Amino acid sequence: MSLEGPNFDEIKAKLKAGDARNAFELLRRTLRPDDPFVTQARAARLYRSMARDGAELRPLKIALLAGSTVDHLADVLRLWLATVGFDAEIYVAPFDMVVQTVLDEASDLYAFKPDVVWLCTTHRDVPLEIAAGSDIAAVRAKVERAVQDKQRLWQVLLQRCNCLVVQNNADCPADDPFGNIAGAAPWGGRSALRLYNFELGAAALPGVAVFDLDHLASLYGKAQWFDSRYWFHSKHAFAPDATGLVAASLAQLVAAAKGLAKKCLVLDLDNTLWGGVIGDDGLEGIALGQKADGEAYVAFQAYARALKERGIVLAVCSKNDEAIAKEAFEHHPDMRLRLSDIAVFRANWNSKVENVRDIAATLSIGIDSLVFADDNPAERDIVRQFLPAVAVPELPDDPADYVRVLARYYAENAQRAELQLSFQDTADYLASLQMVAEIGAVDALNLPRLAQLINKSNQFHLTGTRYSEAELAAFATRPGYVIRNFRLRDRFGDNGLIAVVVLRVLDRDLVIDTWVMSCRVLARSMEEFICNEMLRVARERHCTSLVGLYKPTAKNKLVAGLYPRLGFEKVADTDGVSRWRRAVGPASSDLTTYARQLEMTTE
Amino acid sequence: MLHYDEAKARLGVIFREVFDDESIEIFDAMTADDLDEWDSLSHITLVLAVEREFGLKLKAAEVGALANVGEMIKLLMERGSP
Repeated sequence: MSLEGPNFDEIKAKLKAGDARNAFELLRRTLRPDDPFVTQARAARLYRSMARDGAELRPLKIALLAGSTVDHLADVLRLWLATVGFDAEIYVAPFDMVVQTVLDEASDLYAFKPDVVWLCTTHRDVPLEIAAGSDIAAVRAKVERAVQDKQRLWQVLLQRCNCLVVQNNADCPADDPFGNIAGAAPWGGRSALRLYNFELGAAALPGVAVFDLDHLASLYGKAQWFDSRYWFHSKHAFAPDATGLVAASLAQLVAAAKGLAKKCLVLDLDNTLWGGVIGDDGLEGIALGQKADGEAYVAFQAYARALKERGIVLAVCSKNDEAIAKEAFEHHPDMRLRLSDIAVFRANWNSKVENVRDIAATLSIGIDSLVFADDNPAERDIVRQFLPAVAVPELPDDPADYVRVLARYYAENAQRAELQLSFQDTADYLASLQMVAEIGAVDALNLPRLAQLINKSNQFHLTGTRYSEAELAAFATRPGYVIRNFRLRDRFGDNGLIAVVVLRVLDRDLVIDTWVMSCRVLARSMEEFICNEMLRVARERHCTSLVGLYKPTAKNKLVAGLYPRLGFEKVADTDGVSRWRRAVGPASSDLTTYARQLEMTTE
Repeated sequence: MLHYDEAKARLGVIFREVFDDESIEIFDAMTADDLDEWDSLSHITLVLAVEREFGLKLKAAEVGALANVGEMIKLLMERGSP
């Protein structure tokens, strides 16, 4: 039996040899969204059998509410969520109980405490029932009511749980008794659903993402998408073979909403941005602009440029002479990308692994937010091997297919940024994040994570101190020391333990010996929240000043201005180390923060 | 028309792959009762795998009606592609 996609025997062999990590990597790399259902199901089954220790996946609880059978989809979705970085736990609500499940406060949905609620509806869940010949106002009224029905559910969900709501739009049916008129007359079935889809997107509240199911149906092919046999037999809403496409797309959307999106595209030059080798073929000899393949490269460059306009950072990583490589950007008339479009340009003879690392460091972004596009399988392989966090798509032989392959990684990227734009000001945005912070002390459970955060943080680290677990444990027992850790949850999920401070009481001063924070939560008023807690500790210990130090290191320029921003005044500056003081006033003089405090768990 | 032995052999491969169990040996009277994991959900996976391997499309009514292996083989002998 020949199946497309993953080589299951090879993956199983790796599993048997105890190499779960590479087995998973191979599965992730070779499974494609358009592989048929049989392959998806097999892959999902194999994934279930893999141990996930060490895979560094983030836990995610996702609830599926649908008016159709989604059990197979849920299975496959779990695997696709894993490929983008989540260890998903999935709750499937009882069949066709979408509204009841949402409204019933005692339903299992709320006990499950989902991070994501997917209202996996289809056109069948949008009963518009518009009579032939109805006027436009009547159509609008019915559509508006249908959108309001969905909106009411979103409001209830957002009120009752701290979750992202994903709402499918309607997959306009392939067949309609009215034929062409269905999409031409305003009262036609397709016209009305198109209006519904438009209004649904316009009505989306913050915290709600509309999932463009209609687009996926078109991409798959409407005539195949609607497989009535499986609707009649088992209430499957779309063709089983579209399961991978739907699951992969949803996983992309969730990844983007949860901040795991790809931020940077690293591009090779020869045979990636143009055909041929510029060092050998010269400026005139490369394929770009002329003939079919030349046009394909131009189209690919135009796509990369459009990504840049959307906020994706572009970088070049090429084995080339820098001056020759740049010549194309400066002088070739058909180049769509200019040097000014490229944030980091690395054309040299160093290893690509080294260059990719350097690009991430230069841009101060995580290595896991990079996509590496290179036509050379050997380069792809070495990057995969040494930098497994980097996404490395299999670039097809034909440059005409490059865009299609890359589009997957950026399909949903703009989401969180767009969310931010829909607010009037920052305060509004921060308030909408529904941040809940939890303050804790040191205990045996969190000690390793505290030490790790202190020792791994570079950018948000005021003093550059490094402490072992043993040292921290010792501090915790000394009366002159106070250690606090901070956890943060927001509407997008649990950020986990995100900050640690080590404080020392010296006479009437409370000195901030160490302050590290995860940069993921930067500028969300957590700095203010943490400062308020330190002020509270100072009051408790009868200190009159909170004293901060800033010791510049190679990487902590980010926090050079932190203390003045938090109302500290500089009192000394010796050998580059500055000392900052803030008087300890009453609680009423605390800083403004948008994080709500959860009561202390340990002391 | 497919030969019984060939239809049965290819169906056996599908069973072993779908249920991920190399030890499965199918027989004509075999039903969901003989295989723990053969439930209504995995039945659909099984039928989809059969459709794909034998290049045929079952009618909506046939999807659920194929309750035992013998009936499947009979149908595949009549309609399955070599």
